[in-house]
Amino acid sequence: MPQTLIELKNADLTLGSEASSVHVLKSMNLELNEGESAGIVGPSGSGKSTLLMVLAGLERLDSGEIHIAGSAIHEMTEDEAAAFRGRNIGIVFQSFHLIPNMTALENVAVPLELAGEKNAFEKAKEELVAVGLGERLTHYPSELSGGEQQRVAIARALAPSPKLLIADEPTGNLDGDTGQQIADLLFQKQKERDMTLVLVTHDPSLADRCERKIGVRSGEIEAYSEAAE
Amino acid sequence: MENSLQQLGLFEKVSLALRFAMREMRGGLRGFYIFLACVALGAAAISGVNSVSRSINQSISSEGQSILGADVRFEIENRRATEEEVAFVQGLGDVTAGSNLRSMARKPDGSDQALVELRSVDDVYPLFGELVTEPALPKSELFAKSGDAYGAVVAPLMLERLSLNIGDELLLGDATVQIRAILIAEPDALSEGFGFAPRMMISNEALENAGLIRNGSLVEYSYRVDLNGEPTLSDLNAVRALAREQHPDAGWSVRTSRNAAPALTANIERFSQFLTLVGLTVLVVGGVGVGNSVRAFLDSKRGVIATFKCLGGSSRFVFGIYLAQVFMIALFGVIIGLVIGAMLPFITASLLSAALAIDISASIYPSALLLAAVFGLLAALTFAILPLGNAGSVPATALFRQWNLGQSGWPKPIYTVMALAFAALLAWLVIYTSDNDQIASLFLGAVAFSFIVLRVVAWMVQWIAKRSPQVQSTPLRMAIGNIHRPGALTSSVVMSLGLGLTLLVALALIDGNLRRELSGNLPERAPNFFFVDIQSSEIEGFETLINEVAPNGKLVEVPMLRGRILEFNGTELKDLDIPPEARWVTRGDRGVTYAQNLPENSVLSEGEWWAPDHSGEPLVSFSAEEAAEIGLKLGDTVTVNVLGRTITARIANFRLVEWESLSINFVMVFSPNTFAGAPHSWLATLLESDASPEQEGEILRAVTKAYPTVTTVRVKDALDIAERLVGQIALAIRAAAAVALIASILVLAGALAAGNQTRRHDSVVLKTLGATRRTLIRAFSYEYMILGLSTAIFALISGAIASWYVINQIMNLPYSVLPDVAISTLLAALILTVGIGLVGTWRVLGQKAAPILRDL
Repeated sequence: MPQTLIELKNADLTLGSEASSVHVLKSMNLELNEGESAGIVGPSGSGKSTLLMVLAGLERLDSGEIHIAGSAIHEMTEDEAAAFRGRNIGIVFQSFHLIPNMTALENVAVPLELAGEKNAFEKAKEELVAVGLGERLTHYPSELSGGEQQRVAIARALAPSPKLLIADEPTGNLDGDTGQQIADLLFQKQKERDMTLVLVTHDPSLADRCERKIGVRSGEIEAYSEAAE
Repeated sequence: MENSLQQLGLFEKVSLALRFAMREMRGGLRGFYIFLACVALGAAAISGVNSVSRSINQSISSEGQSILGADVRFEIENRRATEEEVAFVQGLGDVTAGSNLRSMARKPDGSDQALVELRSVDDVYPLFGELVTEPALPKSELFAKSGDAYGAVVAPLMLERLSLNIGDELLLGDATVQIRAILIAEPDALSEGFGFAPRMMISNEALENAGLIRNGSLVEYSYRVDLNGEPTLSDLNAVRALAREQHPDAGWSVRTSRNAAPALTANIERFSQFLTLVGLTVLVVGGVGVGNSVRAFLDSKRGVIATFKCLGGSSRFVFGIYLAQVFMIALFGVIIGLVIGAMLPFITASLLSAALAIDISASIYPSALLLAAVFGLLAALTFAILPLGNAGSVPATALFRQWNLGQSGWPKPIYTVMALAFAALLAWLVIYTSDNDQIASLFLGAVAFSFIVLRVVAWMVQWIAKRSPQVQSTPLRMAIGNIHRPGALTSSVVMSLGLGLTLLVALALIDGNLRRELSGNLPERAPNFFFVDIQSSEIEGFETLINEVAPNGKLVEVPMLRGRILEFNGTELKDLDIPPEARWVTRGDRGVTYAQNLPENSVLSEGEWWAPDHSGEPLVSFSAEEAAEIGLKLGDTVTVNVLGRTITARIANFRLVEWESLSINFVMVFSPNTFAGAPHSWLATLLESDASPEQEGEILRAVTKAYPTVTTVRVKDALDIAERLVGQIALAIRAAAAVALIASILVLAGALAAGNQTRRHDSVVLKTLGATRRTLIRAFSYEYMILGLSTAIFALISGAIASWYVINQIMNLPYSVLPDVAISTLLAALILTVGIGLVGTWRVLGQKAAPILRDL
């Protein structure tokens, strides 16, 4: 019987100042199990990315609860949430967000070093080899292609062996073929490590590869379906 | 993965932050050049000034013997040492005796004359060092009597003033002297103090025969002793103690080779402290640049900061990474500054050796460098903490929402507290390392106040711009809009230029007012001549002569005695705590006088003047300002020693004395009965405001010819020398102010460059909307002009207040704002802002719109 990894209860969030405030999440409820994959889809401004940030503990709820792996991250301080994220949540961004002055190896080692891991660099190297970049360890981000940069970002997200992998438009900045390879890599790793994967995408084919597809519109979950697969 | 950053020890956290900081620095120092330059400039100024002053003072103390010309020097004013005193001094070791006085030297044909600083020496002079003359003759030939004339050595200036050559003769009192050589080096000149006239050196015998030493003459007799061997500090102190014990009433000043030139040393210390404050201003002005650089750098790093946070880095850890980075860059800047500062004594050594007539040996002074390093790092941290604190508050969500990458507001209170703590530490260090707490505190207060006022000025300029009515001119409307819109340059330009310009205005106005006072205003009120040492038997004839040669002149004569204060209210001076500003009154002999009536140039401030025929207890009128400093009240008693007599007089009143009027003024004026029958000389002034230089020359010739022993000081000559001295000091001050202005310009350039990115965006958008390059240049010029003008007006007002305080309140001199300073300040501010601003924007304007639009 799989355990629940994500539990979002009556999540409510309004952003912006009084005059220009937007009710981004409206009493949202969501549950996802360990090892499950979910694709969040919806039009621009529907609240997809905000939902992702709430799941990553990056955005505080106005009301409601969010439990990840049994921990109530809505009750954590910003720094407690950061430390929790470092151990339990990996994030992959559309624009990769690698640190330009660090090599591929150093970029992957950052979350391990921050978590006080003794063998940070050995582990980082293993992760880079695992994503096919064993030859690119000492390259700086500017010396890598877009696809390679996203592989480094995936290796960095996977390095602390998180329980939850979050991806925000992971193929959005890549061409079709490269995007396909990155998607393959993401799902392959999710299966291998039995992680929960939550991704936001505009690409229907990518959302279709997830076990669940969650449609979001105007801050509410509109559709909640098993994927075609 | 059970560990987390929170569980790491402090050392591990710091080393991790350092590691990340080092990686971040691989990007190079781009964006930090202004930061580096500001820190380096400030550190160089402070370490340089302190190293140079230490090299001078160390040289003075290591060459103490030759500077003083003795191990111990005994100096007595206006009387020779008694036989017992001489015996005591001779018992200590080898002795050379001599004397100093001012006198007139005149050409035998009466065609010209000049005031000289006369020094008489004996055969054994100098005990230390070497008397260098050109030609180099043995002493016997330099000073010996040959025919009727005694030998004399004179400073080159003397030959120049009287158009003389070696071998020419001069009259000195009743004696004839022949110039045998030019004085190249007088080994103990530095301990002899500041001279108003060229030096003439003769033998004691020649002085004796010149008949210049008469009743009331101002003469310093010195006895220089070689204790033989290498006396230690305790040996020297023992001699001093012995002199005090065996001759408590000698009234001599005893100086040892360990403190050979105390006035010079103190002045150098004071001056170096002043320049250190200027150096600190450089650091504070530079601090604005440091803050701007750090803010701009961190703005460019917001993506990386958000990434760190997404990956598990806490705000504090992120703060730590960038603090370490800023610290390392500041350290690099400090090291550059220290290298320059450490080199300065070596560069200036030969220059200073020539100027001060001692061998300046340069060295590296670790304490001076350490002081500058601490000041530099503290100033950099003080200004960097707030922007660094802001970095910690960059939200990780910035990576998901580009619009959240903008600047956030005020950082968390802890960072404000940290910045204030660094500022407080810096302030404490400034006060702790300064000799004068009051001036240091005043400086700090002024800097803090300027910062607040500059903020207010920037806010007001924006407020006015926001509320200004719509103007017709499009460029002007755009300029006004640029001044108040969010992210405007107003605040950073006003802050960066304001402080440096204020310092420049203040120093220029102080310098200008001092010069005006010395060369412009004074001679109108001041007398043309001072006549010293007129004997009572000569005074009537002297008056008649002056009436003949200067019939329209106003002659003022007062009796003059020399006296030394011994006690106030029966308590000896050594048991009293006299404040430093009033010590000159109690140090050594002072001129004193008596008068029946209140002197013309004085105003009674308290008490009453005595009856003209007062015959009871001796009374004294004391200068009000000095009395207040010492803490004297009406009815207190003053005990003085005049001509060997001890007299106690009661203070009957206080007078307001205008010292800067340069007329005859005395701290103490006694009732006439105090000195009834005592022999004394006269001091006279002659004021003839319409006298031409030729007429002044005639008066001088007539007096010197008829009364060769009367010393005449031409006020204009004395002021020329004082003005030259002020000029030299002003040059050093201007150099220091220039460094502050360079820092200001650097910071200004940095602030304007930071705005160029926005300008690039704006001008391209405006160009696509139809704005011509001409319109844009006019708009930017108007904007820079408005900013420059507002800053200049602030600098003028605050600089004028600061200089008024120094001139009027501290120096008690009349003050006025000088229009040339005001105009040049306005011009400088406009040239700087418009010039630097347009240089940066020009390139932006020259770019084609399309490629930039693709990037936007």
